[in-house]
Order: sequence, then C-alpha cells, then structure tokens
Amino acid sequence: MSPPQTATLRPYLNAVKATLQAALCLENFSSQVVERHNKPEVEVRSSKELLLQPVVISRNDKEKVLIEGSINSVRVSIAVKQADEIEKILCHKFMRFMMMRAENFFILRRKPVEGYDINVQTQAGGLRHPLHGGDRQGDQRDETVR
Amino acid sequence: MSKNTTAARFRRVDVDEYDENKFVDEEDAGENQLGPDEAEVDSLIRQGNLNQALQAVLKNPPINTKNQNVKDRAEGLVLKVLSAFKSSDIEKGVQSLDKDAVDLLMKYIYKGFERPSENSSAVLLQWHEKALAAGGVGSIVRVLTARKTV
Repeated sequence: MSPPQTATLRPYLNAVKATLQAALCLENFSSQVVERHNKPEVEVRSSKELLLQPVVISRNDKEKVLIEGSINSVRVSIAVKQADEIEKILCHKFMRFMMMRAENFFILRRKPVEGYDINVQTQAGGLRHPLHGGDRQGDQRDETVR
Repeated sequence: MSKNTTAARFRRVDVDEYDENKFVDEEDAGENQLGPDEAEVDSLIRQGNLNQALQAVLKNPPINTKNQNVKDRAEGLVLKVLSAFKSSDIEKGVQSLDKDAVDLLMKYIYKGFERPSENSSAVLLQWHEKALAAGGVGSIVRVLTARKTV
C-alpha cells in the first residue's frame, strides 16, 4: 500500500530546497557570442560548457519540479497537481493570470516549458540589482553603478 | 578583378565549428561497460543482504556507454535494490557507502525521479534525504555539474 500523500510532502519540499541551494550558485557572465550583452544562458543555450545537467524531482507522476541550471541563470519548472477537469481549468487560468503579468514579477517566465505549468527563472545580474529586474544588457556600465 | 567575386559558397561555412576554443565533450570509449551484475545483485537481495546488494549495484556504473538499454537496465536494478530496503535501514545503508558511492547514488536517485512509477518517488525521496545528510549539498552539485550521466 502506498504511503499517504502528506507523508511525501515534507521530503519533497526538502529535496527541492536542497537542489535549489545547489543550483542557485550563479555568477555574472557576459555573453560569449555577442559583446557587451548579458543573456541568461539557460534560455539561450549557446554553449554546452555553460549548462548544468537538468534535474527532476518528482513527488509522483503528476507533481514534479524540473531544475535547469547554468552559469548565470536557473530555470525552475513546476508541474502542479491537477486532479480533475475543474482543477485543470483553475490552474490554467491562475497561471495564465500570473504569467501575463510576468513583467511585474521579474522572475516569472511568460510561457511555461512543455509539460509543466509555470516557470520561475532568475539570472545573476537580476539578483544583484532587484530594482532593475532580470534581463540586463550593457553590463560594462554595471561596474561603476555598483 | 578576380574570378571569384561572385562565389558565395564561403558564406555557408559554419565558422563556429572550426573555432579552436570550441568546447567538445570528451568521448570515452565505454562500449564494454555493462552496468552492475544483475545475477549477483538479485542473489544478494534474496539472501537479505541488502547493504552488500547496494554496494554491488553501485559498481560498474554505465557512465560512458551510449547504449540506452544498458543505462535503463542499471537504473531499474538500482531502483529494485532501493525499494527492497526498509525505511529504518536506509540510513545504515547510506553509512556503508564511501564518498564516491554516495555521489553515484545521488545520480541514480535523480535519474529515478525522471520516471516516476507506483511508489518509486516516495522511496527515492527517503533515500534522497539520507544521502543528502551523508553527502551534503556538494553531492548534489556534483550531480549537476557531471558531464556524463549514469
């Protein structure tokens, strides 16, 4: 008999927390392809050596978290449990509401990755200057602002 | 003027391929890696000697082989061993492993998460907790940065 659902919640959250702790080791890294640009490597995927292994943590086949890391950015994709039709609709509407306002959230992605419901993505440059938000360009200017 | 002014074939050359600094993954010839020995592990499980089974199944990881079947078989075997443990015995099982084995166990755990079945995720989550206690966040970092997965 499988253990009750609540018994897996704590370990699931702890596992996700520990993995995030490992993956959120970011440093500012300008693009190697275009000068004076600072792109989130996990989105651009320009060079293999900058990307980490993507890792999944699943609680069951419906709920899982995909964590893709890179040298300057991390993308966390979350699949939320949707038991029946009404939950699917509610989840979809709610996520859509938040993703349409992604600009204000700074760390949300406008479209979820295939197979997941919502994405959180953060970048090293964005973490340092929360007022300026995520995607930043012209990092040459950065050094003086700091 | 030279004869080549209208030749445009050079534009189709992918210059990035010839860049000397381009990163290429090392290709180790690992065709002979067969993964852990199924018969040995099965017999150890039946004998009830679970710690030994754990150590046996973590030998010969199919890291370098390109054959997906070998990797799948190894992963299924590891999952069988991990599910055979009782919850209270997991910690002792992890203690019996050395540092490299704990890293390898972490790799298998994450691999197992990718294909959740009946009860596998619950078991794997328990193992993850104990392996984390033994290996620390460093073991997870080594899983993320490994260029070759199990």
